[in-house]
Amino acid sequence: MYQYSPEDSEFLVERVDQFEKQLNRHLSGDLDEAKFRSLRLRNGLYMELHAHMLRVAIPYGTLNSIQLRALADVADKYDRGFGHFTTRQNIQFNWIELPEIANLLRELSSVGLHAIQTSGKATRNITADPLSGLTEGEIEDARPYCELIRRWFNLHPEFSWLPGKFKIAINGAKLDETALKIHDLGLRLVRSDEGEIGFSVFVGGGLGAAAMVGAETASFIPVEDILSYLESVMRIYNLKGRRDHQKRLRIKFLVRELGAVEFSRLVYEDWLQTKDDPELKLNLIELEGLKKDFELPIKPLPQAKFIDKVDFNYSIWKKNNVRSHKISGYSIVNVSLTKLGAAPGDASSEQMRILADLADKYSETELRTTKRQTIVFPHVRKDQVFDLWQSLEKYELASPHQGTLAQIVACPGGDYCDLAKAVSIPIATRVQKRFDDMNKLLDIGDLNINISGCENSCAHHHVADIGLLGMQKNGEEYYQITIAGETLHETIIGKKLGPSVSGENVVDAVEEIVNVYLDNREEEERFTDVFKRIGINPYKEKVYE
Amino acid sequence: MSDILEPKSIVNKANENIELVEFDEFINNINKYETLGVGVIIKPSDDIMLLKDSLYFIELVILDFNNFDDGRGYSQAYFLSKRWGFKGEIIGINAHLDQLQFMLRSGVTSYELLEDYKGFNEEDYSNGFSICYQAAANNSGLREKY
Ligand code: SF4
Repeated sequence: MYQYSPEDSEFLVERVDQFEKQLNRHLSGDLDEAKFRSLRLRNGLYMELHAHMLRVAIPYGTLNSIQLRALADVADKYDRGFGHFTTRQNIQFNWIELPEIANLLRELSSVGLHAIQTSGKATRNITADPLSGLTEGEIEDARPYCELIRRWFNLHPEFSWLPGKFKIAINGAKLDETALKIHDLGLRLVRSDEGEIGFSVFVGGGLGAAAMVGAETASFIPVEDILSYLESVMRIYNLKGRRDHQKRLRIKFLVRELGAVEFSRLVYEDWLQTKDDPELKLNLIELEGLKKDFELPIKPLPQAKFIDKVDFNYSIWKKNNVRSHKISGYSIVNVSLTKLGAAPGDASSEQMRILADLADKYSETELRTTKRQTIVFPHVRKDQVFDLWQSLEKYELASPHQGTLAQIVACPGGDYCDLAKAVSIPIATRVQKRFDDMNKLLDIGDLNINISGCENSCAHHHVADIGLLGMQKNGEEYYQITIAGETLHETIIGKKLGPSVSGENVVDAVEEIVNVYLDNREEEERFTDVFKRIGINPYKEKVYE
Repeated sequence: MSDILEPKSIVNKANENIELVEFDEFINNINKYETLGVGVIIKPSDDIMLLKDSLYFIELVILDFNNFDDGRGYSQAYFLSKRWGFKGEIIGINAHLDQLQFMLRSGVTSYELLEDYKGFNEEDYSNGFSICYQAAANNSGLREKY
């Protein structure tokens, strides 16, 4: 598994040292709040409703057990014993004391973790498919590219003070688990007719009040030219992006105002000036080295027949939580952290240590985090899946909810976030209680419900089968419903169903929508396919009748 | 130009006879300045591309970094220094301590800090790292890893 070199670790320490100096200047009154805010955000530190929140990056969602234990230690020592896995492969701690932050970051740097650029107007943590390298049909494992691009834009002198935040996702798989077209910039690994690997580039996607699908600005950029191309995108954004209007800062507004064709032309013209600069060529030797570092730590197992155990609960869990691995003899196991009443993605320090121990025992020390806020054991021997399940059961981590409606994605919402207009977690809990019959959940199948507490859309509600967006109406909490969004097979922004629904009625509305789906579904049809066939009216009629 | 410092105060002795003009004045009267050897004062919102063909008679350029969150000056410095190989001085004014490393690596050759930062160790911020991960106009003193 890839690990930082000593010089990378040195860089992390230098970054903490510098931030500590900035923090001390702020605490002694020598650095005003506005500038400190800009600096602390670049180090992942937010001021939330009750305390400071720290967002730590889990680059491309890959963690080893040592790192997870270090995160558990942070949860105990600096938080209240919890961490929150986010939809963008980060982990957040909600109760951080400002003076302790440097020590916390130093502890994390010793295991190759950091909070650099997990917030602020710069390139954020680069996300990848959590199953990168594990599934058939992939063009390539995206993580070596994520790592090289992450490094390149780490404290980039020209692009660290952009008009707005800049999120990049890279996908090399057939299905898009990264939702790359709703990112500021999405890269899809592609293979040309001649067999050369390169990227299709999509720019200007995003959620929020003006949800947009990214426009393709280039259909094929060769691997070695990707850094110069990305620099050109950011240069045009840096120079021409809106800085005068707080709600128009993201690159999607620039792409919309210029038009995708004109934006692409400007990028292309700039790129023509730099694409042959040898300094900007992606280092192919380094890339090959990284590909070796990211090679899977397992080899195919001889196809010995083994008889899996028979157990009703195990088989339900297995159906929902276990996927096949491209390496024969192995499975991919997904662990849902969902618990009634708790924030989706929340994990206690105890759970983190258990997961770390189980990763050592069953998954070659490795874990992955997903945008559905679950934890993946990427390399579990098929003949050990039952043992792993038993261990998970013992620690109440064998929720069979993965891939069902009950695996709800919800942001912290009104319970923790000072930007929230409404609560998210209590709504998720009520929906889960309404659908607590496992047979019904299995019948419904994989149906996403995502709940955001405000227009910032941290829970990606626009691209869920059923999305709920919290808002205020006459001092009361209401929810706008969108349906039939998705990113996995294609990227579609969900359609607004109609007027927002009160908090009291929103769970009934969700149930009605699910019933319309079930009543109209033919065979294994997915939610979005039924919607395409029958349109929005049947849903409207049921919810607003 | 709004809260810009008096530029003359920061120009080297060697440059003190150079006439400084604001960007709009310069662009509107390029012919007038062609023979003079001139210094141009640029705001973040000024279109740096318009300077490209005049660089051969510009002696120095002054970039304004007053607005902490406005990163356009870094791209302006990049164009001048790396893209066009401008050999004159690129002076960053109204500079912020915490942004020195970004300014200098983008191609700014000298700077004047805002008053608020007097007394702090500039080295901590201009030279706080031993390694860098990307090509830039100026990576001197840094181990390059890319
Ligand atoms: S969507 Fe809004 S309420 Fe929810 S976490 Fe994001 S900013 Fe906070």
